[in-house]
Amino acid sequence: MDCCGGTTEHEDDCGEVKVKDSIDAKTVEAAKALESENYSAGFATTIETDFAPKGLSEDTIRYISAAKNEPEWLLEWRLKAYERWLTMEEPTWAMVRYPKIDYQAYYYYAAPKAGAKYASIDDVPKEILETYEKLGIPLREAEVLLGVEGAVETAAEGREKPRVAVDAVFDSVSVATTFRKELQKAGVIFMSISEAVHEYPDLVKKYLGTVVPQSDNFFATLNSAVFSDGTFVYIPKGVRCPMELSTYFRMNAENTGQFERTLIVADEAAYVSYLEGCTAPMRDENQLHAAVVELVALEDAEIKYSTVQNWWPGDEDGKGGIFNFVTKRGDCRGDRSKISWTQVETGSAVTWKYPSCILRGDDSVGEFYSIAVTNGRQQADTGTKMIHLGKRTKSRIISKGISAGKSDNTYRGLVSVNRKAVNARNFTQCDSLLIGEKCGAHTIPYVENRCASAQLEHEATTTKLSEDQLFYARQRGIAEEDAVALLVNGFVRDVLQHLPMEFAVEAQSLLKVSLEGSVG
Amino acid sequence: MRPMLKITDLSATVGEDSEAKTILNGLSLDVPAGEVHAIMGPNGAGKSTLSYVLTGRSGYEVTGGSATLNGEDILGMDPEERAAKGMFLSFQYPVEIPGVPVMTFVRTAMNAQRKARGEAEISAPDFIKKSRDVAKMLNLDAEMLKRPVNVGFSGGEKKRLEIYQMMMLEPKFLILDETDSGLDIDALKTVADGVNAMRDPSRGMLVITHYQRLLDYIKPDKVHVLAKGRIIKTGEADLALRLEKEGYDGVLGEAA
Amino acid sequence: MTTALRDFIKNPTAAELELVARYGMQPEDARRERAFLAFAETGLPHRRMEGWKWTDFKAALKALETPAAASAKDPLPDDGALVFRFTPKGFEAPAKLPDGIRMVVQPGVQAFPGAEDVPMGALAAALAGGGKRPATLAFEITSSEAPRLHFVFEGAGEASFARIVFLVRSGASLTLTESYLGGAGLTASVLEFDLERGAKLNRTIFQRGGAGEALAVTGIAHLGAEAEMTQTTLAFGAKVARMETRVVHQASGSKLNLNAAYLSGKGFHADITTNVRHGAPSCVTRQLTKGAVLDGGTGVFQGKFFVPRKTGQHTDADMQHQALLLEDGAQVFAKPELEIYADDVECAHGNTCGALDDAQMFYLRQRGIPETQARAMLTEAFIAEALGMADEAVRDVLLAEAQNWLSS
Repeated sequence: MDCCGGTTEHEDDCGEVKVKDSIDAKTVEAAKALESENYSAGFATTIETDFAPKGLSEDTIRYISAAKNEPEWLLEWRLKAYERWLTMEEPTWAMVRYPKIDYQAYYYYAAPKAGAKYASIDDVPKEILETYEKLGIPLREAEVLLGVEGAVETAAEGREKPRVAVDAVFDSVSVATTFRKELQKAGVIFMSISEAVHEYPDLVKKYLGTVVPQSDNFFATLNSAVFSDGTFVYIPKGVRCPMELSTYFRMNAENTGQFERTLIVADEAAYVSYLEGCTAPMRDENQLHAAVVELVALEDAEIKYSTVQNWWPGDEDGKGGIFNFVTKRGDCRGDRSKISWTQVETGSAVTWKYPSCILRGDDSVGEFYSIAVTNGRQQADTGTKMIHLGKRTKSRIISKGISAGKSDNTYRGLVSVNRKAVNARNFTQCDSLLIGEKCGAHTIPYVENRCASAQLEHEATTTKLSEDQLFYARQRGIAEEDAVALLVNGFVRDVLQHLPMEFAVEAQSLLKVSLEGSVG
Repeated sequence: MRPMLKITDLSATVGEDSEAKTILNGLSLDVPAGEVHAIMGPNGAGKSTLSYVLTGRSGYEVTGGSATLNGEDILGMDPEERAAKGMFLSFQYPVEIPGVPVMTFVRTAMNAQRKARGEAEISAPDFIKKSRDVAKMLNLDAEMLKRPVNVGFSGGEKKRLEIYQMMMLEPKFLILDETDSGLDIDALKTVADGVNAMRDPSRGMLVITHYQRLLDYIKPDKVHVLAKGRIIKTGEADLALRLEKEGYDGVLGEAA
Repeated sequence: MTTALRDFIKNPTAAELELVARYGMQPEDARRERAFLAFAETGLPHRRMEGWKWTDFKAALKALETPAAASAKDPLPDDGALVFRFTPKGFEAPAKLPDGIRMVVQPGVQAFPGAEDVPMGALAAALAGGGKRPATLAFEITSSEAPRLHFVFEGAGEASFARIVFLVRSGASLTLTESYLGGAGLTASVLEFDLERGAKLNRTIFQRGGAGEALAVTGIAHLGAEAEMTQTTLAFGAKVARMETRVVHQASGSKLNLNAAYLSGKGFHADITTNVRHGAPSCVTRQLTKGAVLDGGTGVFQGKFFVPRKTGQHTDADMQHQALLLEDGAQVFAKPELEIYADDVECAHGNTCGALDDAQMFYLRQRGIPETQARAMLTEAFIAEALGMADEAVRDVLLAEAQNWLSS
């Protein structure tokens, strides 16, 4: 493959290892999270866009469904969800405060005017490609390949060369999916969910809404009614997905809600690692993001789902920023299946997110590794639910919350053990770090044990960044902000090691950027 | 003469059904009364598994063979029954029992064993006297015996407390599982003195160790090499020295 | 009057209507009304309220009825103690109190700030009094050597309510023991403590009731500078039993030990709920709750540390909850919560829940201790840890009560 295919700035370095570095650097820039002039992902792209009529009604839903040329059953499914949503109330139990959302003030569908389907990546409007390039997202296959090779050599771990296939979602529609052909050879289906509805209707119909039911909660139900696009992944029996799969979400259009829906199915003994990244431009208004992610792991299957979320957090005064209300849930449906969530949450004005595992199969395993950083006026209420139903099911929760500025950071989690889940095991560790005296760190674990042979263990600590350690590092000549980053990296190490390597590097830089200006 | 501990073709697995792993694989071994046998072997050879299988820890399943103590099959017994028959395991990692003082613990154990054997309980003064004598010999602080079992004890203190319990309970057959690990030289001597004081024509001992060091202080009558779940070589005390010098690979290579 | 009052509670149950009627028979009192309104806002607390999701009084208490089972015998010794006795209709107190203890029987209801946070406490405050019983029983303690006060809540009846207020003056100390022995269909008490600078309180609560009863003990304490409070609870539960304690560290250097053990058998439900606010710098909280639950029993632990911005600096707080599910069919629910807005703090909590440790069991059995004895020994030691700070006069009795329960 032509290694220099997509890049312009680093052609000379192709043989070397620099391209990945450049992507990192760009992504990091993209995440200059807090001072608004520094949030370099905060640019808006000027392209012509088709909108659904503003606001939410049955007509909006019919418009979306028609625009996507959807089959009748899916329209019915959406309308049923909408009907249900009208009877529901927005939840208030989370420790987040935000102005009342006017659901009629949003556009529920925004698509680049050229249309969503492109025969090849060269047909994608230049503006969109440029947007991704600015974000440092490796849309071009060659670029991806190069970048990752670089990362491998840097790490010198001798691990198998990872490659990343990318599905990019721009506002409401998927604009490009890379590596399609190669994945097809392995039997892996990786495409936007809109396409999957047409190409694999039986699979979609079989699994859609089976993990997060239509009427699960207010935001998930809203998503069921208006979801625009998202990613569909199916790994057939016994297949180990040959590369990391990745989706990048980008909200561009003003007053737009983004409601993507992701469905990943790992058939018996299949394995897949999936990465998700998100950005949005700087806007004064709050943009709404209500996604649903459903994972299904059948017998002996394993799904690893990693997220780096740096949606626009709003400015220092709390103006603008994304409202991130996400429902993510995995169903360990088969015996010995495993689902592992890893998240690095640094963005969004308000985060409401609990990636969960239903441990249905005997001996199934659920994991949740989380780093949540809040600064400025951000509010995050995030955690997980581990529902132990099967015998000898195991779960592990490691949550690291870092609060700075005037932010609030809450871990909220549930470990529930059914009477039949004999010999279930859970270990939970929640640590909170406070930087500065105007932020808050909260830990709210719920434990429900109905099985005598289960063993559940929970530990939590809340501490401040150690002055002694900080001084020690600075005495040795490390600048204050670097010292903070160093200590924070130490604090979150247990979680970082669960991220795929190329994400871990990015996450570390993100942490540093997110915490800029938090001391001194 | 019939051996005191007789292990014949013993096989055992660890882990649940589908994930069960065979750790002991046709192990045979005889220890006559009055003798001290050492079992040496590389990590993962099955040394600790052997001690747990002999004392009846759950999670280990015997899949074949037999083990008898003075002619009685012990494998079907509960752990406490085996203890009452005189089996004592000095744990590699002694367990912490918060809230239960050492003295209470040992007296409860002693009386439970006596009861199981149809003997009378020990009187409080007799118990205290015996405890004082043993503690003195092992250099144990009386205060330590009032604290909860093993809680907050150093590695050396824990091992000495194992020997204290052994001398208090006067078992017939001793298994010392890596008793030397985590001990400095002084503690090692104290522990070895305790064990040597227990040597008796009516008592058998199995000393499980990775290193030869402990055997400088507790001289074995026989040394067995355990690898891949069975005894692959048996020799006199000098075999331990050879293992130390040539390493397991050297000696095992020759045996294989 | 009751018809108008009926509207106090939305869709009232039979039990709630009876409570409204009881309120209607009390003398008019603006403070009483405020307390009752605080209760009436929710009615009997129920599972849809966040703090009551595992302990549902509305569902458990259908009507106010005298239960079949008589009061339990009081195991706590009363020698050397001043004994006060509350029954559903009566109240007894020693004829004379020594110097350093002053008792005031107030006919009216004392103001009850924060009543909305504790609906069952508000109910107790609103319905305490009537007949021989005081609406508010107030104590002022000025001695550091006052004898132990022992309160007994017992006797058959539909319901029993009490409100007791203690002011412990600077440097004084109070040793208080309470026995809740059942007998009434609903028992609700609220005890308030105000500890001045350097004052000390050692409080012990023993609770044992019938499987048909509902009980709510609400304690609210404010700790002055360098005040020290130690509380030990031993609860066996009831149909529903909630032992709720709210403590505010309101001046620097105060210290709190908050310990509890619950033992729930078949058909019993014991709830230990605590809320500690570190409203002043450099205060210390040590909290240990232990539970053991049998088939058909339920244990609930809800603990919360709240550390406000600035005023909570240098908080040192640790919360541990450990529960044993001794048999299949036992259930334990826990929510150990931290809400922290100050950065220079050391706060930790831990929660374990499960069966006895296999390694410990094997160790005991290897030494020759039979399985049932080993189990009892470990469980007793486990529970005993939470009872060690109770007043000497009752500590051994609490241990013996726990042991008896565990061995039967």
